[in-house]
Amino acid sequence: MEIEEMKALWSEMSDQLEQQKKLTNEIIMSMTQERYTNKFKTITRYESFGALLCLAIFLFILYHINKLDTWYLMTCGVVTLLFISILPILTLRMLGHIRKFNILNKNYTEVFIEFQKAKKNLLRVQKLSVYASFIIMFCAAAVFAKIFGDKDFFMIDRGLKEYVVFAFTIVFVYFFSRWGLRSYTKITQSAEDVVKELED
Amino acid sequence: MQKEASFVKIIKEHEGVIFKITTMYTDYRDDQKDLYQDIVYQLWKSFDSFRSESKISTWMYRVALNTALTRLKKSKRMGNSVPIDQVILKQTENYDPEFEERLKIVYKHVKELNVIEKGLMLLLLEGKKYEEIAEITGLTPSNVGTKISRIKQKLKKQIIKE
Repeated sequence: MEIEEMKALWSEMSDQLEQQKKLTNEIIMSMTQERYTNKFKTITRYESFGALLCLAIFLFILYHINKLDTWYLMTCGVVTLLFISILPILTLRMLGHIRKFNILNKNYTEVFIEFQKAKKNLLRVQKLSVYASFIIMFCAAAVFAKIFGDKDFFMIDRGLKEYVVFAFTIVFVYFFSRWGLRSYTKITQSAEDVVKELED
Repeated sequence: MQKEASFVKIIKEHEGVIFKITTMYTDYRDDQKDLYQDIVYQLWKSFDSFRSESKISTWMYRVALNTALTRLKKSKRMGNSVPIDQVILKQTENYDPEFEERLKIVYKHVKELNVIEKGLMLLLLEGKKYEEIAEITGLTPSNVGTKISRIKQKLKKQIIKE
């Protein structure tokens, strides 16, 4: 066999390989799944860190719960405990569900419908978190004022300074929650774009 | 999004190149698949840097050959594996067993060369000119010429031996 003959065979093989799409399709599909999963990687890391922080706060409040000596401070304590335990679990569960979602297993319509459902649930939990953060803010302020300073948040005299700090906190919580919700909307939209690519 | 779509398009258009390189540098199906995946991944990683360069094919050959060489250094096969017994998969309409046999001979001869020579021979078979081979491999065109004439002699000897 001469070099020229080898070249001719090689060229013919190249033409035939043009028809052979199997391997690339497989790789591209698994890369699509990886890209989809990666969309939720960073947010899962932040949420996991947040959940650990919530757990620490939960244990701290629980340890000092006997300091909450009136019915309304105790209510604030219980509400805070409930929110900081339920919301992170719910968020991580929803995130886990949408992240582990296998976008290659079913046909496009099924995948799209299921993704939309998971996305809706995740965003619903995030919206709930936004509203809850305002309630938690008040309750946690009362709980921590009592635990750290032995002061009844609802009875103390407030001056201009306290009101300014309070207003500033509300504005901060508002923008922070809005930023969080927007991030989630952006991430889920970006994951949806990956899912939509499967339609082609 | 635009970036991902154009990357997928380029890969699909040039998948034959990656397939040929993976067949050249591996002996087993699962190794071939792994190398293929590695190459696509490395291409994706270097996709941004390619944009400023001249030719898609030059960039692809360079990344794919480098990935194959790096992988070759690392890999030591363990356990049972399925050897590559076919170059052209049977799914193609015009599958010809006789053509397949002749192709295997080409691969057999080229695979007997060393890793660098394999890469050079592959580029030669791909119809690349010495200048382009030099650009892909980082050698000088005259060096490419010398090495290729040695490879040709080596191949001739191999073929005569049989």
